[in-house]
Amino acid sequence: MPKVSVDFWTWMGKDLGGNARSSSEMRSILEIVVEDGTTARMLLDRLAQDYRPVAEKVFQREKQRLYPHVVAILNDRVIREIDLYDAVLNEGDRITILPQYVGG
Amino acid sequence: MNGPHGYAGKILRVDLSSGRRWSEDLDERTAKKWVGGVGLGVKYLYEEVPPGVEWSDPENRLIWASGPLAGSGVFGAATFNVATKGPVTNLGGSSQANGFFGAYLKSAGYDGMVFQGASPTPVCLVIRDGATEIRDVRHLTGKDVWEVETLLRQELGAKGRDVSIFAIGPAGENGVRYSAIVGDSGHLAAHNGVGAVMGSKNLKAVVAYKGSHTFGVFDPEALKKANRELYEVARVAGPPLAKWGTGGGFSSVYGAGALPVRNLTTNLYPNHERMNGQFIRTHFEVEPKPCHKCPVSHVVEVTVTEGPYCGFVGEEPEYECLAAWGPMIGNEEAGATVMLTKEADRLGLDCNEASWTIGWAIECFEKGVFTTHDTDGIELSWGNVEGVRELLNRIAKRQGYLGNLLADGVMRASRQVGGAAADWAVYTYKGNTPRTHDHRGRWCELFDTCVSNTSNIESTFGGVKPELVDLPAVTDPFSHEEVSTLNAKFNGIRQFDDCLGICRLASPDPKLILKCLNAVTGWDWSLQDAFTVGRRVVNQLRVFNFRHGMKAEDERPSTRYGSIPVDGPAQGKNIMEKWAWMLENYYRLMGWHPATGKPLPQTLEKLDLGELIKDL
Repeated sequence: MPKVSVDFWTWMGKDLGGNARSSSEMRSILEIVVEDGTTARMLLDRLAQDYRPVAEKVFQREKQRLYPHVVAILNDRVIREIDLYDAVLNEGDRITILPQYVGG
Repeated sequence: MNGPHGYAGKILRVDLSSGRRWSEDLDERTAKKWVGGVGLGVKYLYEEVPPGVEWSDPENRLIWASGPLAGSGVFGAATFNVATKGPVTNLGGSSQANGFFGAYLKSAGYDGMVFQGASPTPVCLVIRDGATEIRDVRHLTGKDVWEVETLLRQELGAKGRDVSIFAIGPAGENGVRYSAIVGDSGHLAAHNGVGAVMGSKNLKAVVAYKGSHTFGVFDPEALKKANRELYEVARVAGPPLAKWGTGGGFSSVYGAGALPVRNLTTNLYPNHERMNGQFIRTHFEVEPKPCHKCPVSHVVEVTVTEGPYCGFVGEEPEYECLAAWGPMIGNEEAGATVMLTKEADRLGLDCNEASWTIGWAIECFEKGVFTTHDTDGIELSWGNVEGVRELLNRIAKRQGYLGNLLADGVMRASRQVGGAAADWAVYTYKGNTPRTHDHRGRWCELFDTCVSNTSNIESTFGGVKPELVDLPAVTDPFSHEEVSTLNAKFNGIRQFDDCLGICRLASPDPKLILKCLNAVTGWDWSLQDAFTVGRRVVNQLRVFNFRHGMKAEDERPSTRYGSIPVDGPAQGKNIMEKWAWMLENYYRLMGWHPATGKPLPQTLEKLDLGELIKDL
């Protein structure tokens, strides 16, 4: 079964409990072993089920999609939302969740 | 109280050639058509600056205007807009600054000011409760903006927040094309060389006293309620702005492939977490410096507490300055960005254009196009922050070969140098540079920057949060169709915001802003009304620009700006593949001619701009 990681750059701090590595308050990294054939959408749904902050800030379970104000990156490449959801996860895959930004 | 609800009801006119000052009434009809800020700016610009007037001619106008929400009690609402024909594009444009000035101007009895002519000697305008004075400030020649503010305060006996002062530095005096107007200890109206226009008029500074003039608010209770809602939205929006500043988004920009690194030669900047807002606020000492009545208070002063610039005190670099003086010049030392931000501000330079220009110059040095002979001894290599500091000073004074060359901005400098180096410069063919992002990873903003009439972004925040104005989010940020379509549909609301005298960071929800506007003015405007005003601004400015020489073929990025990223999250994405198609799609949706980009007569009629048709 593949081991993948989800790197939340969404200021969740310690909200993900002891399961996440946090290099800073901005980043929380979860490493998870998933069933063969798991898609990114299935994983995000599972995380939203397990962690309330993910459901509140990242993935809308009822709509089965990301909130409009977050962007997902797969293996350091920007990817279309629709392609992300259907991507079957492989060993070492990394999903990065970014908040949208304005600049200033 | 003189004017309509929300307005002081007067526009101050200043002829700097003769020293004459007078005021004009601002009636409700004009207020409803143009609202304020950029709206009033483009009204005066169009009516009073005919084709043939160049940016540095005394006949050019410099229009500073606040808006109906400035000073109304809406949180952080003290913004003013500067509109003029500027030297970067040699076309019309606008730029905004926050701080206190917009609110103080209204409390002094004016919604806006129109400067014309040119003074024979350097002067400063002082406004106090409706009275105005033009002071001889020859002794301030050559002083930087911080010195000007300090000296004027001493001379006027002003204390604390008695006054708001905006000034130009040496860059504006010396006609550096990307000079800014800087005030209130680190706020800037920076785009399209508004400071150079001020310098061409020999206007060194403007001082507004906090006055006693009041204006009517139609429904104070409704305003209070809407304002409270607005604060709640601002408080929880995005990366916590109050906690981390706009630099809190720095790493997100990197993660999305939109951080400008070494003049776009790469997208890799692995130490980004040692340059972001979180690093600065957890490593350096921080003191809040909020704008007028702003509880969000993201603006802070920092004292660097580690590294080679330990002990240096300056305003915290906003995201754009972090990007400009960090990755763009190959610097990884956060303290150095504080130093360079203060240096550029002090001299009165726009950090965006300055960093694209210097980034290009460094690449030229690294590749042997420039030598130490050209740089008068500066080893202009990536990350040489002291070299960059020296170069900023030379640019501001147009000193030496390189200082003078770079003072005209990167488009003109690169064309003068020519050869392969001409292809390394980042700009649009209208002449302006982007904000300090790598837009090749942020297509909405790249496209917006190229088709804009304001000399900077006009339509979007880079496509952020279209759902706030009932538009669908882009599902593919690299879709030529989605990007050009969203930008056209989005266009209007941003320019409407810039009419109001508000800070967009403190007021991020357009519908709540409308609630505030209706409460202040007694109008009953919908989102559609807001879009109409914004599109009126865009179209009037566009007709102005066509009359002043803009060409549709200039609505495109330079070779490097439109190139394909070689690495990073946006690697391989090619916006130029369908550029012509994007333009045509956008023009059609904007109601412009699909080939020439000129507004169609029916579009102008619909926006109550029928009188402009004959000018095209």
